[in-house]
Amino acid sequence: MRKRHLCVLLAGLTTLASAAFATASAAESDRWQVPVAVKKLDNGLTVVVSTDHSSPTVGVSVVYHVGMRLEPKNRTGFAHLFEHLMFQGTPAAPKGVFDQVISGGGGRNNGSTRPDFTNYIEVAPVSALERILWLEADRMKTLDFNPTTLKNQQDVVKEEIRVNVKNQPYGGFMWIDIGQHAFNKWENNHDGYGSFQDLENASLADVQSFHRDYYGPNNAVLGIAGDISPEEAFKLADKYFGAVAGRPTPAAPDYSEGLNTAEKRINQTDALAQVPAIAAGWKMPARGSRDQAPMAVLGSVLAGDDASRLYQSLVKRRQIALNIEPLYGLTDPWSYNGPTLYTLFAMYKPDSSADAVLAAIDEEVANIAKNGVDAATLKRVKTKMLADWYNGLEPFIDRADALAVLQTLWGDANVVNKIPTLIEGVTSADLQRVAKTYLTQANRTVIDRRPAATAPAPAAAAPAAAKN
Amino acid sequence: MSLLKNPLALSLALILGLGAGAASAGPAAKLPERLPPLAPDKALPVPQIARKTLANGLEVWVVPRQGLPRVDYVLAVRNAGYAADAADASGFASLYAGLLVEGTAKLDAKAIAETAQGYGGAIGANATNDGVVLSGYALPSQAAPMLQLLSDVAEGASFPDDEVKLAQANALQGLKAAQAQPGFKATRALLAAVYGEHPYARSQPTEASINAITADKVRAEHARRFRPDRALLVITGRVGAEQAFKLAEASFGDWKASGEPVADVAPAPRAAPAQRVFVQRDGSVQSALRLGRPAIAATDADYVPAQLAGIVLGGGFSSRLMQNLREDKGYTYGARGGLTALRGGGMVQVSADVRNDVTGASLGEFVYEFGRLNDYPVPAQELEDTKRYVAGGYLIGNQQQRSVASSLAGNWLIGLPPEFLGEYVPKIRAIGADQVQAMAKKYYAVKDQSIVVVGDYKAVQAQLKEYGEFKQEK
Repeated sequence: MRKRHLCVLLAGLTTLASAAFATASAAESDRWQVPVAVKKLDNGLTVVVSTDHSSPTVGVSVVYHVGMRLEPKNRTGFAHLFEHLMFQGTPAAPKGVFDQVISGGGGRNNGSTRPDFTNYIEVAPVSALERILWLEADRMKTLDFNPTTLKNQQDVVKEEIRVNVKNQPYGGFMWIDIGQHAFNKWENNHDGYGSFQDLENASLADVQSFHRDYYGPNNAVLGIAGDISPEEAFKLADKYFGAVAGRPTPAAPDYSEGLNTAEKRINQTDALAQVPAIAAGWKMPARGSRDQAPMAVLGSVLAGDDASRLYQSLVKRRQIALNIEPLYGLTDPWSYNGPTLYTLFAMYKPDSSADAVLAAIDEEVANIAKNGVDAATLKRVKTKMLADWYNGLEPFIDRADALAVLQTLWGDANVVNKIPTLIEGVTSADLQRVAKTYLTQANRTVIDRRPAATAPAPAAAAPAAAKN
Repeated sequence: MSLLKNPLALSLALILGLGAGAASAGPAAKLPERLPPLAPDKALPVPQIARKTLANGLEVWVVPRQGLPRVDYVLAVRNAGYAADAADASGFASLYAGLLVEGTAKLDAKAIAETAQGYGGAIGANATNDGVVLSGYALPSQAAPMLQLLSDVAEGASFPDDEVKLAQANALQGLKAAQAQPGFKATRALLAAVYGEHPYARSQPTEASINAITADKVRAEHARRFRPDRALLVITGRVGAEQAFKLAEASFGDWKASGEPVADVAPAPRAAPAQRVFVQRDGSVQSALRLGRPAIAATDADYVPAQLAGIVLGGGFSSRLMQNLREDKGYTYGARGGLTALRGGGMVQVSADVRNDVTGASLGEFVYEFGRLNDYPVPAQELEDTKRYVAGGYLIGNQQQRSVASSLAGNWLIGLPPEFLGEYVPKIRAIGADQVQAMAKKYYAVKDQSIVVVGDYKAVQAQLKEYGEFKQEK
């Protein structure tokens, strides 16, 4: 159910590195302090740099503070379609140039759309850095608003939706449908992939105004990680982005919403799936609240890995599920800034039921709410989370992206070094509190999705397998 | 989980060896006048591997690094993977590999998982065609106990009866789930067309092969397959070479082989009749297209140039297939392919999932691109860009510790020496357009490609007429 990737390869060695060490409560050798330097250009572009000379490569991420929440109401899927169009050329660099220059410089690039941000990421030998910055600044200025490329990417996005949703067992219900049912406001509950009709209706005027309104330097963060000093990186950022004019960004509506007060249960049938599955999602604490880190730790205690309580309960002891996978919206426990879900996804056995899975989840949650979590387990889980946090920052492309995303959503890239401390500070009492507050039946949305061939007669809820 | 511009991975990539995953081609766009020049290339870092063979035959390679706080271990065991599975035990190795961490004489499955978690790491195994790879990682302070855990598992996996039963029951459900994926059926059909009766055709389980598994069989296979004289341990991270050798000796020095080792895999066919196979999948709104043919082993002299030809064709976002089928035609979210080389042989394959009504047209574009690679030399700039793309991929992988360990282990499994990693880019750079074209004629001729389509036959049947008579499969 993870993003499907074709992989890059290869490796070799590096013997010099520049990891600075922070002193901390854990074994000192186990700590890692990521260097962070931040500068804001006159046009409002925030630049975040993390130097690491251990490899002659560099990661770049340009994060725009706009995602699915802020797309036009009659244009579901537009933020994502727009992301595709950012790769389709500009007056100065026509279609084909962008990818050719980056791959011809030895690099890789990609982009992705989330509820709160859209990111454009590259990694390449450092010899290509100036070219990458030139290309990113060029498409920040303007695009080639072109009917041919619009049509082409409407087609490509529709194929993406077919491959990930319409031709796919489960159709991504654990990350698409669950939010549509859990949230109350349109910004949070519409389909970020979009309807085919809305995608087809997108016009060049829509593309132009979205670029104008949300793609200015003042609404963006540039992250750079790797073989370059902060001074040099700031100089290059100024050289290539300094002349891009800022532009007014529309005020965002209030899309906040409270926790749910009544459980939602949805039954779906699936014409393609052969194994029944369930997704249960709970609304999460707000970004930056004191409950955020405890919720992250609780999520790991419950379903972080094979040592987790729910894996052991559902898969090993009760043997009613094949897997248990946690999802944090479309991102992770730290990279959101609006209503989002902690979702558990499990495929369960044909002789079991969604209710049996939920009962097992409820039992573990109730146990934590009542008794907290023993010290040994808490220490183990925190140790693993700390290591996972570092592991996620290893590739320069991900390091640059994490810094740019945290700067965008938290207003502080240094959060990258604060998260380990936040994790370590979580107590058993914190876990009891968040279990009682968030993982309640009232705050829960559940989708039970059964293969069409084996589904019982439809209950009250209408089946909602594939949407057009 | 996120909506991506394209499905090519950029994140931690652990493909073994030098599989598909690089490319740059496409139409030669004219570069903007104001585009800054590339800065001078820095020297390619070349792996510095400290090597030692223990008395029991276990090879130990160490690559000390000072990156993030982590130590990585990769234990690769040759001839322990799918190719060692009996003809009626297809896919056995993946279930077996999964069970390695489900119990030892000292620890039950839960204790193994909790122990690894407490080390700030994880332990797990997976099967490949040519071997089984058992990997573990941990925070530096837990480097020694994690290696001990790895050896407890490698030498003392106990395969408890109830764990084997559970793995079997779950594998049956997992197989049902996998069969709902178009790609799974497509792979099965293409492997059969390419490899025929060779073991490389059998990497997916069947209901019968899962049902036939017993705990005793798994234990017997483990004793037969896991042995120090067929294994390599790669250690990388915040650990010195001498210290790593000491740790390896302490953890694995007493590991003993028993009985006869598994025989090397027989050479796979280098040619096969081009087949046409249609696998019916009711309700499909796309056709999963796969074309392929047998090719060569990784140690074949043609490996590097044939790899480069495949990268031009379908290696990455700027590849010809991606630029044509996605960026020009809008037929697909992703078209890709190239050469996969294993120890005893290999295959060329290309793929795309396309909406029903462009199934025939997409096959036409595949045919066109195979033809273009055969009929014309790759233009100089495109070839240069592709070589830079490959070199960049090397540097990008090299930046990541686990990628280094996995690549070394993966190369070793398919028969490539440790030096290969550092020599790959210079070898790629030395290839000329004439060699690429020669490789195209040898391995990328359309007449030699089998075609597999998984989809809804009623919806696409009329479009397939010109591509021959398709054998129908379930």
